[in-house]
Amino acid sequence: MDALKAFLRHPSGMAGLVLILAVLALAASAPVLYPESPWEMVATPFAPPGEDGMRLGADTLGRDVAAGIAHGARVSLLIGVASALAALVIGVTVGALAGYAGGGLDAALMRMTELFQTIPAFVLAILLVATFTPSLATIVATIGAVSWPPLARLTRAEFLRLRRREFVEAAICQGERTARVVFGHVLPNAVSPILVTASLTVASAILIESALSFLGLGDPNMMSWGFMVGSARSSIRQAWWASVFPGLAILVTVLAINLFGEGLSDVLNPRIARRRG
Amino acid sequence: MTDAKAPVSTAPVLAVDGLTIALPRGGDRAHAVEDVSFAIQRDEVVCLVGESGSGKSMIAHAILSLLPSGVRVAGGAVAVNGRDVARLSGSDLRAFRGGEAGMIFQEPLSSLNPLKRVGAQIAETIRTHQGALPRDAMRARVEGLLAQVGLPTPGLLARSYPFELSGGQRQRVMIAMAMANRPALLVADEPTTALDVTTQAQILRLIDDLRRERGMGVLLITHDFGVVADVADRVVVLRGGRVVETGSAEAVLRRPRDPYTRALIDAVPRARLRPPAPRPEGAPVLSVEDLRKTFTVRRGLFQPPRRVVAADGLSLSLHQGETLAVVGESGSGKSTLGRMIMRLTEPDGGAIRLGGEDLRSLDGEALRQARRGLQIVFQDPFASLDPRQKVGDAVARGPMAYGTPRREAMATARALLERVGLTAAAAERYPHEFSGGQRQRICIARALVLRPQVLIADEAVSALDVSVQAQVLALLAELRREMRLAMIFITHDLRIAAEIADRVIVLQKGRIVEEGATRDVFSAPREAYTRALLDAIPGRRFFEHPGFTREPVAPEVA
Repeated sequence: MDALKAFLRHPSGMAGLVLILAVLALAASAPVLYPESPWEMVATPFAPPGEDGMRLGADTLGRDVAAGIAHGARVSLLIGVASALAALVIGVTVGALAGYAGGGLDAALMRMTELFQTIPAFVLAILLVATFTPSLATIVATIGAVSWPPLARLTRAEFLRLRRREFVEAAICQGERTARVVFGHVLPNAVSPILVTASLTVASAILIESALSFLGLGDPNMMSWGFMVGSARSSIRQAWWASVFPGLAILVTVLAINLFGEGLSDVLNPRIARRRG
Repeated sequence: MTDAKAPVSTAPVLAVDGLTIALPRGGDRAHAVEDVSFAIQRDEVVCLVGESGSGKSMIAHAILSLLPSGVRVAGGAVAVNGRDVARLSGSDLRAFRGGEAGMIFQEPLSSLNPLKRVGAQIAETIRTHQGALPRDAMRARVEGLLAQVGLPTPGLLARSYPFELSGGQRQRVMIAMAMANRPALLVADEPTTALDVTTQAQILRLIDDLRRERGMGVLLITHDFGVVADVADRVVVLRGGRVVETGSAEAVLRRPRDPYTRALIDAVPRARLRPPAPRPEGAPVLSVEDLRKTFTVRRGLFQPPRRVVAADGLSLSLHQGETLAVVGESGSGKSTLGRMIMRLTEPDGGAIRLGGEDLRSLDGEALRQARRGLQIVFQDPFASLDPRQKVGDAVARGPMAYGTPRREAMATARALLERVGLTAAAAERYPHEFSGGQRQRICIARALVLRPQVLIADEAVSALDVSVQAQVLALLAELRREMRLAMIFITHDLRIAAEIADRVIVLQKGRIVEEGATRDVFSAPREAYTRALLDAIPGRRFFEHPGFTREPVAPEVA
């Protein structure tokens, strides 16, 4: 496990990992720390941080900002990871088919990918969520549907590169079946860049989800950081805390995932690492 | 400006004195080279010879102050024209590199900027060192240089991009760049390793001509004593970072004092031509009939596509236990032939029969079953093993793919790894823990574990050091006898072809120009092309052998 050891020595990557673990811990302990629903109006509206028992203050309706952040962490992480996984499944499947099969199938799949890439992702996301009713499932599906093209292109490029490599050809000559060749030799050697990009997709998925919630297109039953920023933005001059703290939560989480992703990239792709010890 | 007009001095062009280069800690040894001393005079070619890992490239890089980070000169000095290179910095160093000292690298494609026309790249070298010239004067200089390195139509060539040139042309362009500022010293690091025999001979002759014309000192780094025999005045033999022997080329080649030098010289394939074995009777194992393949490369929107004929009606047959060498220059279609037989490249027409079955009519499961009888060993031992797969699995997966239980397949794999000269414990290790020669042994085990009838070796020893080459060839010859293998040996090195093959096919532009028993073809070639290939063999003058002389046929062959 050389990669693991190298990662443990990677300062910014480890910082990212520690922050991610902190956010995870917060998400996991939300029901214990704040057993009541974050929608509950528990304090005087606009209570500043520290007053009325509100550590991070209360919003327009007297809801606890700290409770919102803790519960929102669950939503953000869940949607981030689930939609990145959805994008990964679509992207890797499309890219692998295109890259390994080549020819007409490749051309058709790549034209479809380009079609998705020409439409601005966020506009498409708004359109999709607005068309279907916003719910956890539709939001995950939507973010997955707008985030897969870069993963598909990357996977295709890796497959194209690896398919002509001699060890893959040797496997074919040795009589291994196509599925074994793809899953046993091509995919494992393509996995590092795909993993790095997928981890960064989690961060962008969290951002898209926050933006959708900000516009009021989030799941109405779930407290989300984007929704908190959105609903408090009109009163930002009276109660800055109600929008700044959720905003900081988004910033820290996305930054942490990016740091982690880049650390992963340095460790897994040592040839293109920006610096080495 | 350059020192081309400096008065002829007796000081050597290059003086390396007690050079020690330290490697970063944690490497396999503390020093890349230790206490290396030699000198090059004007108009002299010195060859630095050693196997991979001997530190020869490190010396070249130290001379130009191009050592990779973490590697530093720990002792001694390098002086070019009496100036200590280590003292140079900034603009002096830049003026020195490409000015007083020119350099040529092994792989010309990666040394040229792919996005700039070659003429512009040469002009840039001149401009950096001699300041701007008027457009016409610059163009004349560039075209003059290109003509000097023997490139036809210099005007047209200057406007080409690197990818439009062949390997040999690119290396000539690199030489033109290195020559642009009339260097006193030319450092050439394996300049012909990536080229085929005929191009190699031309490039070596060119370097030799240029140094005579200009009185340059040349440091030529090589692992091939054939090259040494052709061009060197003096030789420095390096082993594990230390000089083991140095002296005039004649003395070192004829009377090597050090056993290591002798071993290296002995490892050069001598093309000992054996009397041809009687051609086996009966049906051939493999027969190829009228194979055709044309590659079409699409170019720009308004240019017609470029068509390259890789196979123009190739036919051959191979009997059990027989070895057939396929030789030719790069681009002659020899690798494509091997790949088509393996069905890695789809031919346009023709038939490939393995034991009576036409491989071209098969696909899916039937093709998979047929592939058992046909295996291949690739050229690059580093690219042909999956870096994430243990060696044992790499060998065992073949039988497993055909239904052998894992335990049994692993036992076979271990036994075979031992047979090819590794230990059974190697099965538990990953490819990166092995050297090039060991990896090629693994590849051979992987190919043979399926007990194929036909083995294709595509430049299987070309990437290896000469001494390792000899061992791997010997192993292949043994296994061939043991397993009654029919083998197709694809190579650009005629010495190796002569050593191992019963019959030989000479390919040129996808066509068989000559074919016959190795001894007949090599001792009495009928075609001019075959003769040119034979003449280009490095070190022919020295390693002269009856089989290769065209003049009075030597008694032992006659």
